[in-house]
Amino acid sequence: MASLVRAAFSVSKNSLISTSVRSISTTKQLNIKEIREKVEGGNIVVEAVNVPSPRTELLVRAENLGPLKTIDVSEAVKSDKAPCYMCSLGLDVKHTDVLILSQFVRSDGCMLPRRITGLCKRQQKKIGKMVSMAQKAGLMINLTPANCKKDPTKRKDYKKFNTYFDETTIFMKNVPRWTDRFKFRQSAK
Amino acid sequence: MSAAKRVQQWATFARTWHVFDCKWQDPYESAHVIKKYLMGLHKPIYHPMNDCGDVVVCINSKDIALRGNEWRKRAYFHHTGYPGGASWTLAWELHNKDPTMIIKKAVYRSMTGNLQRRHTMQRLFIYPEDKVPEDVMQNVTNQIRQIRLVPTRLDHIPEEEVKNFPKIMDYPEDYVLK
Repeated sequence: MASLVRAAFSVSKNSLISTSVRSISTTKQLNIKEIREKVEGGNIVVEAVNVPSPRTELLVRAENLGPLKTIDVSEAVKSDKAPCYMCSLGLDVKHTDVLILSQFVRSDGCMLPRRITGLCKRQQKKIGKMVSMAQKAGLMINLTPANCKKDPTKRKDYKKFNTYFDETTIFMKNVPRWTDRFKFRQSAK
Repeated sequence: MSAAKRVQQWATFARTWHVFDCKWQDPYESAHVIKKYLMGLHKPIYHPMNDCGDVVVCINSKDIALRGNEWRKRAYFHHTGYPGGASWTLAWELHNKDPTMIIKKAVYRSMTGNLQRRHTMQRLFIYPEDKVPEDVMQNVTNQIRQIRLVPTRLDHIPEEEVKNFPKIMDYPEDYVLK
């Protein structure tokens, strides 16, 4: 009985307070922010500073390229939907292209979610897999969590040796063995 | 025989020494390239009965790259001949014991098993690092092109270049930089 009363009370409280606090604004409430921490005396001051996006000036979009733009037919979705910015650029990105892949990760090397990258589902999956390939190959060791063994040669067992990856295996359901050449050739096409 | 013809004769039948840098190369792919030079298959005078193979010096064999999960999936089989004498060594374990063994076995297996194979293998020199004895290095006159590009690590690219590289993804307007 007591739990029932408590639950009812919390529901009513939440509904009341959340509606009263919620505000309506006609402009964007939020901007790109940077969290800065500094120590003043014995206190840590955390502040969110509005910053302009560092990437806007260097941004490459297929519609701005004019006649140069190429659409990769295999990658572009064959539906009525407009292709996402990555599909319409038609770039052949490999897992060794760290300058491109590092744009899609946080500072700890974690892939950004699709609501932030704005990619289509297929490209999000493809780039996410290529990011993990680059991380496993030790190509983006400055974008890793703090507890990570950064130098690949200091990793354990098989992880300390050089590994490369084949991008055609990204969308394969079963990756055939290297010795199984017939199957491999069929699926690679 | 004119002087030009005599030089051509020498150049045709001389043994050339090639160097191959194994850094970030797949040993099973590069074995097919190395094999051609060792057996002399790249020469128009090639015949299985004539001894026209070249010498190949492999350097940096400890920096070979295997594809995907092959370091932990590929096993090397050995049998002592006694009952229960079979053993399977994983590729990373073998590479820990001897960093030249994987490339050696790959080249050996890429050739057909005949009486010539062991003599051809004698012309293959493998060194785990780029330190090669002087008497070997002084003979080298050619370099075999690498099969795959050596990847560049992000922390080895200058920070200015990373900053000014054309960007594809821009942050949404309400993003908190991390």
